Amino acid sequence: MIEITIPKLGLTMERAKLGRWEFSSGDAVKEGETILVIETDKVSFDMPAPSDGIIHPIVPEGITCAVEEIVGYLAKNREEYERIIEEHPFGEAEGTEKVETSQAGAVSQAGQPATMPPSSVGPKGRIKASPLARSMAATNNLALSAIAGSGPGGRVVRIDILRVLEEAPAIAGERVERPPQEISKGIAIKEISESIPIQGVRRVILDNMHQSLSQSAQLSLHTEACAEPLIALRERFSRDGEKVSFNAILVKISAMALRLHPRINASVEGDNIRVWRQVHIGVAMEANDALIVPVVRNPDIKTIREIDHEILELIQKTRENKLSLDDLANGTFTISNLGFADIDFFTPIIRPPESAILGVGRIIKKPSVRNDHVIPEARIGLSLTFDHRIIDGAPGARFLKTIKEMVEDPLLMIS
Amino acid sequence: MKTSKKEKLSLFKKMLTVRAFEQKAGELFQQNLIPGFIHLSIGQEASSIGTCSVLRTDDYVASTHRGHGHMIGKGADPRMMFAELFGKTTGYCKGKGGSMHIADFSVGILGANGVVGGGFPIMIGAGLSIKLRKTDQVGVVFFGDGAANRGTFHEACNMAAILKLPIIFLCENNLYASTTPSEYTLAGGSVAGRAGGYGIPGHAVDGNDILEVRNVVEKAVARARKGKGPSIVENMTYRYRGHFEGDPQKYRSTDEIDTHRKTSDPIERFKKHLQKEGILTTELEDKIKKDVTKLIGEAVQFGQDAPLPRPEDALEDLFVNP
Amino acid sequence: MSNREISCSTALREALEEEMERDDTIFIIGEDLVAHGGIFGQFEGLPERFPGRVIDSPISETCIVGSGVGAALTGMRPIVDMHFADFVTTGMDEIANQMAKIRYMFGGQAKVPMVLWAPDGGGLSAAAQHSQSLESWFVHIPGLKVVAPSEPSDVKGLIKAAIRDDDPVIFFQHKRLFAQTGHVPEDEYIIPIGSAAVKRPGKDITILTYSRMTYLCLEAAEQLAKEEIDVEIVDLRTLKPLDFALIAESVKKTYNVLIVHEACLTGGFGGEIAARIGEELFDYLDAPVMRIGAKDVPIPFSPVMEDFVLPKVSDVVEGVKKVLNR
Repeated sequence: MIEITIPKLGLTMERAKLGRWEFSSGDAVKEGETILVIETDKVSFDMPAPSDGIIHPIVPEGITCAVEEIVGYLAKNREEYERIIEEHPFGEAEGTEKVETSQAGAVSQAGQPATMPPSSVGPKGRIKASPLARSMAATNNLALSAIAGSGPGGRVVRIDILRVLEEAPAIAGERVERPPQEISKGIAIKEISESIPIQGVRRVILDNMHQSLSQSAQLSLHTEACAEPLIALRERFSRDGEKVSFNAILVKISAMALRLHPRINASVEGDNIRVWRQVHIGVAMEANDALIVPVVRNPDIKTIREIDHEILELIQKTRENKLSLDDLANGTFTISNLGFADIDFFTPIIRPPESAILGVGRIIKKPSVRNDHVIPEARIGLSLTFDHRIIDGAPGARFLKTIKEMVEDPLLMIS
Repeated sequence: MKTSKKEKLSLFKKMLTVRAFEQKAGELFQQNLIPGFIHLSIGQEASSIGTCSVLRTDDYVASTHRGHGHMIGKGADPRMMFAELFGKTTGYCKGKGGSMHIADFSVGILGANGVVGGGFPIMIGAGLSIKLRKTDQVGVVFFGDGAANRGTFHEACNMAAILKLPIIFLCENNLYASTTPSEYTLAGGSVAGRAGGYGIPGHAVDGNDILEVRNVVEKAVARARKGKGPSIVENMTYRYRGHFEGDPQKYRSTDEIDTHRKTSDPIERFKKHLQKEGILTTELEDKIKKDVTKLIGEAVQFGQDAPLPRPEDALEDLFVNP
Repeated sequence: MSNREISCSTALREALEEEMERDDTIFIIGEDLVAHGGIFGQFEGLPERFPGRVIDSPISETCIVGSGVGAALTGMRPIVDMHFADFVTTGMDEIANQMAKIRYMFGGQAKVPMVLWAPDGGGLSAAAQHSQSLESWFVHIPGLKVVAPSEPSDVKGLIKAAIRDDDPVIFFQHKRLFAQTGHVPEDEYIIPIGSAAVKRPGKDITILTYSRMTYLCLEAAEQLAKEEIDVEIVDLRTLKPLDFALIAESVKKTYNVLIVHEACLTGGFGGEIAARIGEELFDYLDAPVMRIGAKDVPIPFSPVMEDFVLPKVSDVVEGVKKVLNR
């Protein structure tokens, strides 16, 4: 018997929410298969089975648990499994903190017809359905949880989908169709099209952003730099057609600029301004509909190519949901690049306890005046938001100017 | 059988070619330029060249893992052989076979075989085919003293004898089955001696004397062509290299190898014969050696220059009609 | 057009006679062929009709198979008779390492147009060493084609295709079906290797089967029809190359699959088909693919035990109901 416990995913992690069980009690799992999704305030993490076995969860989804807390068991064989379910019934874990108990929102978003109890939904919210039924439900925009399964063990099968489509076309219609536009022209009321629960990472983002603006005094400055040297630098670094990213270069530039302006690399802690010895720069990324900011460690002492590799690894981890808390913790500065969306300038919001953030705009050719001649030149927009409580306008501006100068003459990085 | 001066010189050159081919292959293997493993027949050239020299192009040969000599003797092109050893697409098997599976059906080579004793049953089929097609071809199945202990040998001897198939069972007894002495593995001590049990002729031959090999094989071939059935010929010989390249050879001493090399090297013996007969002058020998070095050099170059197969070529050549 | 019905044995003999007449590179080699016409009398009349081309071999399976390989490499089209499919073990190197691989390892220089005819299957109280269904061994070896027909017309059409094919074909013919009769057209025809056939159309479930089990499944389908379960039966006929297009067509129609073979279940060919359906047709499945095969023991001698071990009509009926949750 193996105890399934909440893993410590980073140095700073203390608790995590049990997001979703991928298996029901009694299911056989293979070593390495994801059995459980854990959500922390920063990431969600797919937890692999430590070995082959038969799984028995004891803590329901949605519960927040302490690190190392037992949330289920993995039995070696059937006999052991039978013994475990005797001794540890579902939902009876000791010491469970009931922080978030409502999980109704996750199961179904639309009203369920009262005549059809969702018998196919297991105690853990996993729905048994045949592959065919699943694909039919997807095609017809039906929530499987709303359909009673008539197959073995309550499995939703083809005939069940057919019955729903036949008997209750209204259910299907209601969930799928948005109200036709013609009607809305005259209509005065507003109708809910979709209701998305604010939870998990979204809840964290919402709280952090609000906290940031309400607890600091943010000032944004904008400037524009000639991007030609940046482009040339990137070309020179390309190897076998593999180019380093602009972000990698900008992380390096920011790190070197922070070295010259150490007071920007600081946080407010109580009555002190803590100036950090290390530079750790977060790079804002989009992941699964949410903002996530993994951190590049010590870019001031790394090569641009090393930084590029590190960013690529972090992107990969972000995509695969494999970021650990350590990948996210202890940033001292952040870069957010919205150039991909044709943004020139914006006012990024600081990620507390950091005190500054660089917003990077697009690189685009613009008319530029050189020696009284108008010439086409690639330009890049740079925005800096900083905490005016501890950084005055002039030092903040000088910092941005340093960045601009390094963009225009990267040699300055080694000055 | 009579062997003309011209034929003798040609035999000498072919023996040198086989030796040069294998020495070069061994070198390239040690330099890690040839993948896999290779089995060399250095020291057995009188057997391979002598035997093949009495065969026609349309006669069949089934070879073994130690088959480079049989290939060259039967007329295979060293360039395509090297290309195959390098795993190149212009090799005999387009890089799918390697040293152990070289074949050239255009000169009657039904393939080297990675299974010890794998050639016997195939040669039975070729013999049957000759008989059914009513031609006067013959087939030679080469094998070592080790293969003489496989069931395939006995089944094939029996079947060839009762069906009077035109086959020569050509044993190259080099005293070791892989790493085990045939003294230990071979009951009765003689492969040729087993012929009596099948009611067919069996000849034990000094396999390092190429003229003797030719004489005896020629007799067996003539008998087979006349439809009188199979024979066993056992060429007593010796290999200087290990079972495979890299074989530590714990089973024999370097003294033993040196003694064989000094006293009965097939090339040296034939050279002495040629010199005694006044056929081979020093100038002629130099010229032949130069020709052989050039031939092998070009073959290696051809193999090295040849293109590698595309990885997906691995999916070709399985079926005629996939 | 006649409606003549002949047995599988006769169909085989007829095909061989027609082919040997047409092509004089074809010969048959095996044990007990000339005087006996084959151990099951399957080649009766052929030795007299084609003197010298039906060849008795000593009991030397290694050489029987090997002689086919060598002759095929040198211009002939041999048919080698395995006596009993079980005896492939005694010629296995020649099958697995030579016959299957020679063309490939010699880079396509040669071809091996031969047929290995192997009577297989149980149900005759022939016990463990004369009753096996070993097809899955051979589908696992690249370089071989594997055929296992059921009805007489398929036997005739497929053995002709196998003889004319330039690649080695293992032709399994079920011993219990030798006497099975069925309509066989009198006109010349060939059934291409690699084509399955729907032997009974239906809409509720697809049974994938071959060889003798086809008849068993047809019987089960009749019983199930009384319970308003409409079974489609696909006779694979060739196992390699597999006619997956027809399988897919049927599964996309019925959404449910049962695989039935006489070979024992574990490691049987059914597992391969099930996996492939899982990979390629997952979204069309309304229930797990199920398999029926013999129990995982050697075939026992005593009829009561043999019946217990081999799949029965009732097993198929139950299997269908289990898939359909009925």
